[in-house]
Amino acid sequence: MADLIWASMTELARMIATKEVSPVEVVRAHLGRIAALDDRLRAYITVCDESALEAARAAETALASAVPAGALHGVPIALKDLFETAGVRTTAGSKILGEAVPSADATVVTRLRAAGAIVLGKLNMHEFAYGPEGLNDHYGHARNPWGGVEARIPGGSSSGSGVAVAAGLAPGALGSDTGGSIRIPAALCGITGLKPTYGRVSRAGVLPLSWSMDHAGPMARTAADCALMLGAMAGYDPADATTSVLPVPSYVAALNGDVKGLRIGLLRSFFLESSAPEVRAAVEAAVKLLADQGAVVDEVSLPHLADVPAATMAIIGSEALAYHAAWVRERSADYQRDVVERLRAGAFITGVQYVRAQQLRVLVRRGVDEALTRRDVLLAPTAPITAPRLGEREVSIGGVATDARSALIRFTRPFNFSGHPACSVPCGFVSGLPVGMQFVGRPFDEATVLRAADAFQRLSDWHTRRPVVD
Amino acid sequence: MLAAMDIDLVGLRAAAHVAGFAFTDAELEALRPGLERAFEQLARLEQLPVAAIDPAIQYRML
Repeated sequence: MADLIWASMTELARMIATKEVSPVEVVRAHLGRIAALDDRLRAYITVCDESALEAARAAETALASAVPAGALHGVPIALKDLFETAGVRTTAGSKILGEAVPSADATVVTRLRAAGAIVLGKLNMHEFAYGPEGLNDHYGHARNPWGGVEARIPGGSSSGSGVAVAAGLAPGALGSDTGGSIRIPAALCGITGLKPTYGRVSRAGVLPLSWSMDHAGPMARTAADCALMLGAMAGYDPADATTSVLPVPSYVAALNGDVKGLRIGLLRSFFLESSAPEVRAAVEAAVKLLADQGAVVDEVSLPHLADVPAATMAIIGSEALAYHAAWVRERSADYQRDVVERLRAGAFITGVQYVRAQQLRVLVRRGVDEALTRRDVLLAPTAPITAPRLGEREVSIGGVATDARSALIRFTRPFNFSGHPACSVPCGFVSGLPVGMQFVGRPFDEATVLRAADAFQRLSDWHTRRPVVD
Repeated sequence: MLAAMDIDLVGLRAAAHVAGFAFTDAELEALRPGLERAFEQLARLEQLPVAAIDPAIQYRML
C-alpha cells in the first residue's frame, strides 16, 4: 500500500497501463489515507470518494478492452477548490460560495479527465486565494506535514495542494499562482510546483483573484510529474482569451537529465542576499552541485524589483475588488478578516496607480527577458524563510524582524508580474523544514525549466524525503 | 492620488464613498497603517520612466 501512496504519477501511470496495479487499488489506497489523516491535516474541503471509485472502475474496465485513454489513465489527482467541477461544490475556500455547485468543469479539469486522471477531491486554500499563508477560518487551517508537534503553516494560497501531495493524500494536484500560490506551498511543504508562463494554461472555469496575474499549474512530488500534468493541461483554449496559440511541446521528452552547458543566472541581489542564512546556504549548495555537473553559473540582477510590491498591490487590489465588489458591500461579515481587509484596501487604488503598475510590468518583463538572453534559466530561493509557525506574524531573517506575509511572497511575485515560467523544487532542509528554490525560464520555455528542475532532482534526494504523519 | 499626509479618517471615508463603499470608521482605522505604507510606495511609481510605455492591461506574452 505504501508503494502506491508514494509512487510518482509517472510510475502509477506505467503500473496501471501495464496492469501491474488496478486504478481501483490506487484510488482506494489514497481514499484510505485521506480518511485516516485528513481530520488532522485538513488538506481537503470535499472528498469525492464515490465518484472517484466509480471513475476508477470505469478506467479499469476501459483498460481491459483498450489501450490507456491518455498519459494519466487511472492516476488520481486533487484540485484546489477554485477549479470548477461539474456537480461538485467549488467553494474557493469561502463561506460565500460554500454551496456553489458549477454546471461544468474548468477547461484544465476537462483536459486532465480526458487524459485519464481521476479526481479525488477539492483542496483547502486561503480564502479566495488571497493570502500566502494558506489559512482558512471556514474549513480549518491546512497543516504543514513537516511541522511535527508544532503547527506550521503550509504556505498558500494553494495550501491543501501542498499538504495533500507532501503527505501522500494525492500524488499530484492543481494549484493557482497569483503572487506565488503554487511555489510558496511547494517550497514550504517540500514538493515541486510549476507556475507556467502567463497564457500557457487556461484559466477558464478557475475562480479569479486577479485576471492579469493569475496562473494555473501543476503541483507534484517531482518535476517529471509536473511535466506529465502540464502536457495534459496546456494549450490554447477559446474560452480563455489570454491563452496562447503556440503549440505544446512534449515536456516529458525534454527531460534528458543533462545540465552540462546549461547556463544558469544566479539571482543574488534582492533574492539570495535577502534570504535567511540557512536558506542561502541550501541554495548555494544546490548551485554548486549543478556547477559540478557542468552547468555554467554566473550572477545576474533584475531591475525595478523594489517597486514590484506596490505595483502588484495596485493590480491585485483593484482586480480582486472588481470581482468581489458586490460581496464586499453586502456580505463582508462572511469573509475571514485578513481577506476582507485586503479587499477593502483595493477601494483606495486610483486608476492612475493601476495603469502605472501595468506600465512598470512591461519594464520588469524586459529586465527578465534581458537576463535570459544569454542564459537558459535564472535561479533563486523560492522564499527567504522556511515555514513559519501558525500565528507567527513576524519572522527573523538574519536577525532582522520581518513581516512574515511580505517575506513569503517577496521572491515569487516578480514572476507573476512578468509572466515568466517558474518551478520550485526542494533543495534542502533546515531544522526539519524544507527549503525551496525556483528555476525561472523564458516565456513558453517550460521545457527548459522542467529539464533543469528534473536534472537537479536526478542529482539530489531532497524531493524523496517524506514527512512522518501516520 | 492620495498623498501620505492626507491619510486621515475623513479623507478615507470620502474616498471610500466616491469608490462606492460605505466602510465603518473601525474598518477604515484598521486599513489606515497599511494604506499609508502603500501610498508611499505607490508614489514612487510616478518617478519611473514609464510615461511612454503602453500598459499591459490586456496582458499577453505572445
